[in-house]
Amino acid sequence: MHDMSAHAVPHGAPTSFIRKHVFSLDHKVIGKQYYALALLAALIGMALSWIMRIHLGWGSFAIPGLHLLSSTGAPGNVLTPEYYLQLMTMHGTIMVFFVLTTAPFAAFGNFFLPIQTGAEDMPFPHFNMMSFWVTFVGFWVLIASFFVADGPTLGGWTQYAPLSAIGSVGGPGQGLGVVLWATSIAIFCVGQLFGSLNFITTTLDMRCKGMSLMRLPLTAWGWFITSVMGLTAFAVLMPACILLILDHVAGTSFFVASNLVINDQVLPHSGGSTLLWQHLFWFFGHPEVYIAIVPGMGIVSHVLITNMRKPMLSHRVLIYSMAALAVLSYMVYGHHMFVSGMNPISSLVFSFPTLVITIPSTIVVLMWLGSLYGSKLRINSASLFALGFVSMFISGGVSGFFLAQPSIDIMLHATYFVVGHFHLVMGVAAMFGIFAGTYFWFPKMTGRMMNETLGKAHFILSFIGAYCIFMPFHYLGIAGNVRRYQAFTDDYLIPLIPVHKFITVAALVTGFAQLIFVYNLIHSRFKGAIASDNPWQGTSLEWSTATPPPHNNFGDKMPVVYHDPYQYSVEGASADFIMQTSPEKINSPNEEK
Amino acid sequence: MSQADLTMHGHSTAGAMAEPTFSVPAKKMAMWLFIIADTATFAGCLVAYGFIRNATPNWPRPFHSITNVALMTFILLTSSLTMLIAVREAHAGDKPKAFRWIMITAVAGALFAILHIREWMNMIGEGATLFHNPWGTPLFSSCFFAITGLHLLHVTGGIIALIAVGIRYQGGRYKADDIEITGLYWHFVDLVWMFVVPLVYLLNLSH
Amino acid sequence: MTTAEPQKGNGIGKDLAVYVCMLVLAGIQFFIAFQDITAAQMFERMLIVAIIEGGLALLFFMHLADNRGLRWFVIIFTVSVLLGMQYGWTDSSRLTNGVPWGRVNVNTQ
Repeated sequence: MHDMSAHAVPHGAPTSFIRKHVFSLDHKVIGKQYYALALLAALIGMALSWIMRIHLGWGSFAIPGLHLLSSTGAPGNVLTPEYYLQLMTMHGTIMVFFVLTTAPFAAFGNFFLPIQTGAEDMPFPHFNMMSFWVTFVGFWVLIASFFVADGPTLGGWTQYAPLSAIGSVGGPGQGLGVVLWATSIAIFCVGQLFGSLNFITTTLDMRCKGMSLMRLPLTAWGWFITSVMGLTAFAVLMPACILLILDHVAGTSFFVASNLVINDQVLPHSGGSTLLWQHLFWFFGHPEVYIAIVPGMGIVSHVLITNMRKPMLSHRVLIYSMAALAVLSYMVYGHHMFVSGMNPISSLVFSFPTLVITIPSTIVVLMWLGSLYGSKLRINSASLFALGFVSMFISGGVSGFFLAQPSIDIMLHATYFVVGHFHLVMGVAAMFGIFAGTYFWFPKMTGRMMNETLGKAHFILSFIGAYCIFMPFHYLGIAGNVRRYQAFTDDYLIPLIPVHKFITVAALVTGFAQLIFVYNLIHSRFKGAIASDNPWQGTSLEWSTATPPPHNNFGDKMPVVYHDPYQYSVEGASADFIMQTSPEKINSPNEEK
Repeated sequence: MSQADLTMHGHSTAGAMAEPTFSVPAKKMAMWLFIIADTATFAGCLVAYGFIRNATPNWPRPFHSITNVALMTFILLTSSLTMLIAVREAHAGDKPKAFRWIMITAVAGALFAILHIREWMNMIGEGATLFHNPWGTPLFSSCFFAITGLHLLHVTGGIIALIAVGIRYQGGRYKADDIEITGLYWHFVDLVWMFVVPLVYLLNLSH
Repeated sequence: MTTAEPQKGNGIGKDLAVYVCMLVLAGIQFFIAFQDITAAQMFERMLIVAIIEGGLALLFFMHLADNRGLRWFVIIFTVSVLLGMQYGWTDSSRLTNGVPWGRVNVNTQ
């Protein structure tokens, strides 16, 4: 009985089209579905950022066809100030939830975690299927808010109360728009809960013979740690969203204080606390930042090791550092609230763990740099994007040292400095992680190679472009350019307009570079060179099975693992690399038991 | 996730896998993880309630009698005991007895829910709604109904789960382990109630 | 396995003992409710009793006492998440008391 529930084969191969490609129980198909959803969301989010950037650079420029999106929000094809904020909110929400959370975690994790642990599937395939379809519904609920009367909400992806809780008196989209937003996010939370349950149980209970926890690849560790964070972070965001919905539809006032006057009317709310929303939101929000980045750390380590042909300086220290990030991520959330009117003593209390969390981050970076030093790195699209991730993570992380200190943050908060910081460290870095993963695993996922020339062009344009966009943000922030402004007419902001124009051009170019990637993805899927089972000479389990993997991942024979995942260039071994499944006896100082 | 998923395929891979961490099989582990997540959900709600209550002067304390809530607590605690007995009988292999105890647990749960709803109806009769109550700040009834409602939702889900798992257990589709896993959930609902009673009821008792 | 544990020695007596303990602890909570103390004191005492009750339920009803690894996994995970939620209190009391750590309590009426 015990054996039944822990180790049984989850399901047979499907025969009908619907069960094979739509309502599939196969983790590999679900992973691809997540990837497709994230790709669609990323394209929408990027298009929104283009519209915003054009508006910021050339405020009166009419973007052809924009009125089709909203005739009231863009009369004469020029954004109204409110509609700018609405697009900004949607850009943030779509990118954070439906790209940065779904792609590196849900998409790659679904596809590769069970393969890397040596399982035939996740233990609860029905939950896994529901996880995707629930997320899918959540996405369309959010998109639906574009098409309701006032359009989407304008409150920013953090939906700070009281603006988010007072209803349509707060502006366009603050009525139904917020309700749809909160509903979408609550649905999303349910999907991620199902996903996290599956990820954790896969890691803990579905490992093949010989696969001890320490023999799991760093990617598997990244996903495992991420799902541990996701399990409780989303569990708190969900009731917060439900309370927000109640404030709208049931007349409660959890997040609105008494006697609030908006547009010369006293609101009928009484008694709630605006800071309560921020506490609940950021309790989720900070772990969310690490949910976006830790899978990327795993992917980048995995890609770098394979291309360096040597293991990281220490496998365990990397794992412990990622785990430390997860634990600390629950203790630092108040650094988002330094200027919220939060108790100044709390600011001090939050500042300390925020500075402490830079220690494991720095250890991870030093681990990468130290391992790269002196290695003969194979240069390909995947390893370039992995290097790009390291670069972005450092550049974005350094500005974190400034923002972690309340006294400096008071000046920089809500300026473009913060926007530059989180776009580099969490947005672009996580994106580069996704790209590295895509170029690296595309052969395994589809059976075809991606075009390397296009991949390198994509990298060069993205890398230079991302720095051209986000480095000037820091300068703008220090110059006092407040974020979320839709025009810069104040005296002191006028000299900064050329910088914004430069950034807009850079954003458009970088955006077009992403279309190279999309073309490469689609073209290679059908016309790419046929991939071998192990094109990168990797050692972990995904490379020991067929390309693409069969329905139950390993065919008839379950793998047995003899080594840790990164036995490259072992002295006295028969080859440059030793697969985890190779029974060859080796004498390696860093072999994990 | 049904047992059918686990048995559909012919060949078992038992023995081809590493020992599960903590020797806890996947289904039970998933229930524990769900309990951890749900703890965070309840804790989030209770902390929000505490935050608001602490920040509100003249918080109403409208409850006069503890009879009903004491009875509810007694029933829920006792249902935990009957659940324990059901799990024991299931592991001992006595199907009819185990089934009977599961149903007793479900009936106790239903009794709890009925008492709870009766109390709600009394309060609604006195004029309490989600956004208004006759005793003071509207947030009192917002918090009360939100938190007890969330708990009642869990109890209702638990009753349905108990009946469904019980029937399938009797039909042979579910095993003793599944009874134990359902039991974990039921004890968790009981555990949460031990925090809801003092914080939501007893602290709001009028003197 | 852990699942075999409850079969040993028909430990229904232990279950009953724990059940009685829980009833007594619940009774203590109700008893505290009728004490003539401030809401803050009441909250502290009731919370301590509730934590003991919860611990008993976890250890004996949910059998965490029988599995050392799972016990620490669950306890450390849950407790650290719960502790992370406690940052907001300074803001809560400041809203009414005007000082961060004021002992003035408004719920004493």
